[in-house]
Amino acid sequence: MQIQTTAEDQRIAWLAALAITIHILESAFPSPLPGVKPGLANVITIVVLMEFGWRSAAWVSLLRVLCGSLLLGTFLTPTFLLSLSGAVCSIGILWLACRLPGRGFGPVGFSLLAALAHMTGQFTIAWLLFIPHPALWRLFPVLLTAALLFGTVSGIIAGGISNRQQQCTT
Amino acid sequence: MPSFDLLLRHPLLRTLTLALACLLAACNRADDPVYHDQFFAFGTLIDLTFFDVDTALAEQASRALEQAFMQMHNDWHAWQPGALQQVNAGLAGQGQASVDPAMAALIQEANRLSVLSNGLFNPVIGRLVAIWGFHHDEPPQGPPPARDRIRQLLEQAPASTDIRVDGGHISSRNPAVRYDLGAFAKGYAIDRGIERLKALGITHAIINAGGDLRAIGRHGQRPWRIGIRDPRQPGVLASIEPAGDESVFTSGDYERFYEYEGRRYHHIIDPRSGYPAGAAVSATVIHPVAATADAAATALFVAGPDAWPAIARQMGVKYAMLVDREGRIHMNPAMKTRLTFESEPDTIVMSETL
Amino acid sequence: MTRADRVLMAIVLCSLPLLYLHFWTPGAADYSDSAGGVTQGADAGTATVLRIQSAGTAANTTPLAPDRQIQVPGPMGESTIEIRAGQARFLESPCPGKVCVHSGWLSEAGQLAACLPNRISIQLLGSRPRFDAINF
Repeated sequence: MQIQTTAEDQRIAWLAALAITIHILESAFPSPLPGVKPGLANVITIVVLMEFGWRSAAWVSLLRVLCGSLLLGTFLTPTFLLSLSGAVCSIGILWLACRLPGRGFGPVGFSLLAALAHMTGQFTIAWLLFIPHPALWRLFPVLLTAALLFGTVSGIIAGGISNRQQQCTT
Repeated sequence: MPSFDLLLRHPLLRTLTLALACLLAACNRADDPVYHDQFFAFGTLIDLTFFDVDTALAEQASRALEQAFMQMHNDWHAWQPGALQQVNAGLAGQGQASVDPAMAALIQEANRLSVLSNGLFNPVIGRLVAIWGFHHDEPPQGPPPARDRIRQLLEQAPASTDIRVDGGHISSRNPAVRYDLGAFAKGYAIDRGIERLKALGITHAIINAGGDLRAIGRHGQRPWRIGIRDPRQPGVLASIEPAGDESVFTSGDYERFYEYEGRRYHHIIDPRSGYPAGAAVSATVIHPVAATADAAATALFVAGPDAWPAIARQMGVKYAMLVDREGRIHMNPAMKTRLTFESEPDTIVMSETL
Repeated sequence: MTRADRVLMAIVLCSLPLLYLHFWTPGAADYSDSAGGVTQGADAGTATVLRIQSAGTAANTTPLAPDRQIQVPGPMGESTIEIRAGQARFLESPCPGKVCVHSGWLSEAGQLAACLPNRISIQLLGSRPRFDAINF
C-alpha cells in the first residue's frame, strides 16, 4: 500500500525532522539559563512561517512536539502536556499575527510573539495542573524576560536564514 | 520555543522551583515590620501583633505579657485553686473574705458592670455554670442538669448587689454567690496587658485573646483591620477598622458548647432562667475598654434581639451588632457606618440610635 | 526589523517592568486558590511562610513548599502539621477534642489554628494579610 504524498507533505516532513533534531540536541546540552531552554527549534518554525506560510509552520511545530516527545520518551507525560500547550499557544498567536494589515511583523516580531505566547501557555498549564501555588507567579516575569531574550535571538537567526522579509501567508 | 518545563520535570527540581519562588516572595517580606507572638493563657490562645517595634523590645514585652497573663489566669480562675477560689470559699463559709487591691478592683468593676446590665451579665452565678458542666477545659458530654437543681439555685438569686467591697475586705449577704469571671476576666486582663504595652512605649499593637481583642494605634499607613467571623458558616461576616484604641468582643453560642440528644447547650447562661440564653447566636460589641466590651457582649447576648439596645445604652456601648437565630442582623445606625460587610446581608434590623 | 516588530518590542519592554512591579510588590497580586477552591478578594494577602509555635520554645517559621508533614512536640506528644499546595493544617494531634484537626486548612495570610491541650499554634504569615486579627 502506498500513501500519496504531495511536495508540501514532504517539505513539512523534512523541516519537522530538522526541528526535531534541534529540539533533541537542545535537550542534551545545558542551557545558558538554568532550567530554561532557549528553544532554538523556534528558528525553524519562524523560517517556515516566513517561507511557506502559517499552515506549514503549524504542522512543523506540532510534529516537532509529538515526535520529539516520542523520541525523548516523554509522550503524554507532564512535559509533553507543557510542550503541547506552549506550541498551541504560539501557533495561535502567529495565526493572529499573520492577519495584521499592512506590512506586518518580520521574523523578530513573529519569533518574539511566539516565544511569549509559548511561555505564557506553558506557565498557565503548569500553574493550573502541577504547582497551584501563588508564589509560582513570582517567577512569571523572570520567565517572560527569558522568553523575550531567547525569542529575539531566535528571530534574528531566523531573519538571517530567511531572506524573505514579506508578510506571511496562510 | 523557550520553555521552562525542565524546571518541572523532576520532583526535586520542581521543589527547588517552588522554594525559589517562595524565597522571592519572602524577600519582599524582609522589612515587614509586623511582629507576631502567641502563648496560652485563660484556656485559650493569646495572639500578639505589634507594628514597627524593635525586635528586642517586642520580645521583652511579649515575655512580660505572657507572665502577667499566666499570673492573672491563675489568680482569677473560676474552678482551679487560686486567689478567686479563696474569695469564693470565704464567701461560702463565713460570708466574707480578704482581698488584695488588685482583686478588689477587679471585683468592683465586675459588680459595677453587672448592675449596669440589669444583672444580665452576672459574675456571681458560678454554681449555675458549674452544674451545667462548663467548669472544665474540655466541654462536657451532658446530660444537662435537672430542672429542680436549676430552680433551686435560681431561688437563691445570687446577685452582685449582694456583695460589699470595703478596702481589703469583701462580704456577702447571700451564701449562694460564687464568682465566675469567665465573661469578664479575659477583657480585664487585656486592658492590663495594653497598659503594660503602653508603659513599655509600644503604641501599635493588638492583643487577641481567643477571638476577643483590643487594638491600639495603626498598621503603619493604614488602620488595623479586624475580621468578624460569621457565627454560622466559615469565613468572615464583616470587617472593622478600630480607631486608635478600641476593643472588639463577641459572645457566641458556638464558642463552648455540647450537644445532648440533638440539642445544643452552650456556655452563656441566662441568669434569669438558669438555661443557656436562646434568642441570639452572637453579640458583638465595640468599646474602648476591653473589660466593658467583654461584659457587654455577654449581657447583650443574654438580652436578645428585642432588649439589647436598652442594655447597651445603660452600659455606655456605642456600637453593637447581634445575629439572631434566624440569621437576621441587628445593629445600631452608628455600628452600620463602622462595618464593611463581605456580602451585603439580606436583612438588617436597625435599632434606634444608642 | 519592520515597524510592527519595533512597536511590539517597545510594548514588551515597557510592560515587563510593570509585570515585575505587579508580581513582586507585596500584596499587590493575588490569585484564586485552586487547591482550596476559594477565590480571594482583591485585597487578599498571599501566605508565604508558616509560623509554628510550641509553648515554651521559640517559634519557627518555615516555607510553604515543598509539601510535607512536620512533627511538633508538645506536652501531650507530637502533633503533625501538614503543608500542601501552600496551605497548612493540623493533620493529627494527641489531644482529646481534636478541635485543632477539625479547624481544617489555613489558606490565607493571618489565619491561625491552635491545639490548646498540646499547646501548639500555627499561623500563616504573608506580606499583606486581609485582616490583622479575627474576632469571634
